[in-house]
Amino acid sequence: MDNTGEHQQTRTLSPLMRRLLRLKFWIVEHLRLSERQLTLIWAALIGVLGALASESFRKASGFLHYVATGSSLDIISSFAKLPWWQRVTVPTVGGLLAGLTLWFGNRLFASIRQKTTTDYMEAIVVGSGIISVRASIVKSVSALFSISTGTSIGREGPLVQLSSLTASLVGRIRKMPIPQRRHLVACGAAAGIACAYKAPIAASLFVAEIILGTVAVESLGPLILASVVAAFVSQFLSGGEPLYRSPGFNLHTRWEIVPLCFVGIFLGFLAPAYLRFLRLAERLFSKIDILVPFKLALGGAIVGTLAILNPEVCGNGQGLLQSLFHQNWFWDEVLAIILLKLVATATAFGSGVVGGVFTPTLFIGAGIGVLYGQTVLYVAPGLRADPAMYGFIGMGSFIAATTGAPLMAILMAFELTLDYSLVPFLMVNCVVAYYCSGIFERRFMYGESLERKGAAFFKQQLAEVNLQDLVRSDPLTLPKNATFAQIAETFVQHRFQHIYIVDRENRLLGAISLHDVKTFLDRPELETVVIAADIMDEDFPSVSLTQGMNEALHKFSDAKSERLPVVDNLHSKRLIGSISKTDIILHLAGEQSGTGTNRQS
Amino acid sequence: MSSRNAVEQQLRAAIFIRNLDAISEHEAISKMLGALQGHPQVGNLQELSAAVFDRQHTDPPLFPRGIAFPHARTNAVSSLVMVIATCSRPILFGEVQVRLIFLIGIPKRAGAEYLELISYLARQVRGETVVDQLVKAEDISSFLAGFAEGA
Repeated sequence: MDNTGEHQQTRTLSPLMRRLLRLKFWIVEHLRLSERQLTLIWAALIGVLGALASESFRKASGFLHYVATGSSLDIISSFAKLPWWQRVTVPTVGGLLAGLTLWFGNRLFASIRQKTTTDYMEAIVVGSGIISVRASIVKSVSALFSISTGTSIGREGPLVQLSSLTASLVGRIRKMPIPQRRHLVACGAAAGIACAYKAPIAASLFVAEIILGTVAVESLGPLILASVVAAFVSQFLSGGEPLYRSPGFNLHTRWEIVPLCFVGIFLGFLAPAYLRFLRLAERLFSKIDILVPFKLALGGAIVGTLAILNPEVCGNGQGLLQSLFHQNWFWDEVLAIILLKLVATATAFGSGVVGGVFTPTLFIGAGIGVLYGQTVLYVAPGLRADPAMYGFIGMGSFIAATTGAPLMAILMAFELTLDYSLVPFLMVNCVVAYYCSGIFERRFMYGESLERKGAAFFKQQLAEVNLQDLVRSDPLTLPKNATFAQIAETFVQHRFQHIYIVDRENRLLGAISLHDVKTFLDRPELETVVIAADIMDEDFPSVSLTQGMNEALHKFSDAKSERLPVVDNLHSKRLIGSISKTDIILHLAGEQSGTGTNRQS
Repeated sequence: MSSRNAVEQQLRAAIFIRNLDAISEHEAISKMLGALQGHPQVGNLQELSAAVFDRQHTDPPLFPRGIAFPHARTNAVSSLVMVIATCSRPILFGEVQVRLIFLIGIPKRAGAEYLELISYLARQVRGETVVDQLVKAEDISSFLAGFAEGA
């Protein structure tokens, strides 16, 4: 009956209706948005939101700077106008406020920080893509105090933080699965960097090359879109000029190629020393046993003291870079400001100020490049070298050598200057600098931090795993007087590599490994004479329920066995079950994907 | 072939006791353990004794035709030690009249070596005539000759 009814209904459809239906099916089939296309849409939205967040931070920072110095000029000019005592007071008070914000914030939101991260790199690489809102705001407010009061630290840190936070929030609100959420946070980070440097290509490469470790199209595509959109919005709101426009360079003689190609070698060898200097500052400050607010105030006071000598040490170095590229500097002035900036940046970094060191690193590289160019000009005046050109190339080379990301460095230097004539030299020098730096230094600027976070996250995840959840309660056991025939039969019937030997109270006595006995399994003469007690390994490692997952993994590394017996405790050694390496790995992997699936459904 | 050679080498190094005189399983084993007093490979004779008796208690290892293998895998010995005893008057091990005893001490790490030895001995003493010949052996050389005939 039903079939007939359906048939009649189909027959009543007019040809036009049929065509419309076909069209509808075609549209649904061909124009339905796939997950990839949806990701692109989200990436574009993240670009807009990231740019708005970044611009808001810029405005807030400008306002606070005005409050602190009474000037709406750039940081260096403002500080130059301040009397000497104010040059010290402003960054000191700024550091104190930044430290108090961090200190109180950390105390208030300690429980939240344990569950989520505030670090965008961690959220992308090892985390769940969730960035703590309150803790991020604390960090950003702290950064706001430091940056607006002249601390020598990059603004890109909080810009990326806020942009990533926005992306993380979108992912959480939309209840996206973890991999998508992580990708979205990566888009947010790229958007933040694109806003900070007006460099969308380099921003996407920064995230892909340094954080994700891949430039695969699947991941790079949304990053590019987010960066470009963010850069457009940022340009719309605050102008579209490149940060360090190049005055345009020409080679006066082809021989100049020779010294130009050596910039990378020079800076590549200096980069490891720079990275170690930053780490040294971090270590030194960690030894000072005072509260965070005082530590940051001390950092601010040191920068302020340096500012008495030269106010150009203040800020992230952006103004200095512009001045370095467009004004004539004497070599001793360049050397002095490099040294002062180096100390100021290391102090800020070491004291724990929230912010980035990317822009200060750009300056150090550019400064050394300019010095190198001045040396070339002095040694070979016939080449008529332009030190600023060496400065641009030095900037890119130093970034390549310190971050370990030459591709990003080439594009970043190009986008910052928008001078294509520099690109061939940048390409050579960035790659050379990267390799030269790698001879002495394997831990690059962000890689080390990521490594630390990855290890910490892994340890934390392991600590959170409940061993009991992974225990299989049906271990293969035999009594200690089981004959060799029983042992052989048990191995034949099961696919396990070990049989656990227990006493009457089910206490673990040892284990027999298939590997140890397999060559004897076909010897009938052993069947009745040899028993389990003769061949069991009494020292076979076991895991106790009272131990953590870390301990279990240590035991696995010693035993080289896929499966270990689990006992109630190491004293009574009552066998409860067994645990396998595969189960642990699947659990660690599945915990994330599993959560993701739940969220999806 | 190489593992067989190794076993034969271990047999040649064994302590041989002809016509062990004991009225019980415990006395027989104790006397054989006593022969290991001062043996360079035995680090702790007391520990070895305890391990051997413990193993006997769990499940006395016996071959057909009156052959006993009291043994222990213990770190009280640094390498394999063996005492071979013939009994002109059978000794009762549980309910079995034992005529030939192989007392073996083997380190814990030497599991494969242990299985190889037991497997070899079990194969060699399968025949009744071989066992008779081994029981009649006067020293380790004639004992080994009897073994060779069994093979």
